[in-house]
Amino acid sequence: MNVVVNGRDLELDARATVEALLVELGLEGPYALVERNGEPVERARYAETPLEEGDTLLVARPVAGG
Amino acid sequence: MNDPLTIAGREFRSRLITGTGKYPSFETMRDAVVASGCELVTVAVRRIDLDEVGDAITDWLPEHVMLLPNTAGCQTADEAVRVARLARAGGLPDWIKLEVIPDPRYLLPDGEETLRAATHLVGEGFTVLPYVLPDPVLQRKLEAAGCATVMPLAAPIGSGRGLKLRDTIEIMIEQAEVPLIVDAGLGAPSQAAECMELGADGVLVNTAIGQAADSAAMARAFAQAVEAGRAAYHAGLIDESQEARPSSPITGVVTS
Repeated sequence: MNVVVNGRDLELDARATVEALLVELGLEGPYALVERNGEPVERARYAETPLEEGDTLLVARPVAGG
Repeated sequence: MNDPLTIAGREFRSRLITGTGKYPSFETMRDAVVASGCELVTVAVRRIDLDEVGDAITDWLPEHVMLLPNTAGCQTADEAVRVARLARAGGLPDWIKLEVIPDPRYLLPDGEETLRAATHLVGEGFTVLPYVLPDPVLQRKLEAAGCATVMPLAAPIGSGRGLKLRDTIEIMIEQAEVPLIVDAGLGAPSQAAECMELGADGVLVNTAIGQAADSAAMARAFAQAVEAGRAAYHAGLIDESQEARPSSPITGVVTS
């Protein structure tokens, strides 16, 4: 399955979830923030939110700022 | 003295809020946050660079401090709402420092879009802390919309110029119904003390600490200034006078 994450094409397992994607990227920490096709994904649902072919994902996190 | 800052029912012992930007390193930031004694720190939300993930800021912040995500970088209400929703969905607090800033030169906020975003976010259950130009009329509207604080700027972000719109901020302090936090533009602890002496409920400082030669020492200095200013506010400042008022007796002068 092919998805786009932060503008980059990624190939994932056909049954991948949001959580699996974060693990794949090494971003399974406490504050990886995810939008799937423009909609925010609740942290509690990362493990049960399946990805689909062609999904566009944005992965963000808190950074230094004022 | 037990004089906590209460925002949306949550008590903070320190009336100093700090930003986490502009530090030369996470280590310097952590030391300054600890030295400041603050319990609320702002963070921005940014997409992760997959080529250079690096450390997470949360690994470097003391556990007792609460994160206050901001909407820095947003130029419209819709963008700010999107960032707030993303932050909350991903597990950050449902508090949002609302910044809607279309102007890159002076970084002055758009009051109309800020009010629109605030109204929407309050409706979605967020605790909203809006960053605004000093404007007592907008303050009333934001309070009516349900904002938890109103945070007028002292001077443009990062400018270090101090309380440039003092008279207007005094009006806001006088009529405030929710905590009034002076946010942005403070360059020196004395300026933070001035805000607190006027009766501001707190101040938010970032650049003046992050860019100081010794950030931890400057953080401590700001904390002391905020405490001193607050104590002076409670103690009651004297009225100003155009003429001198002698401190020593004017009768019985030895040489007369």
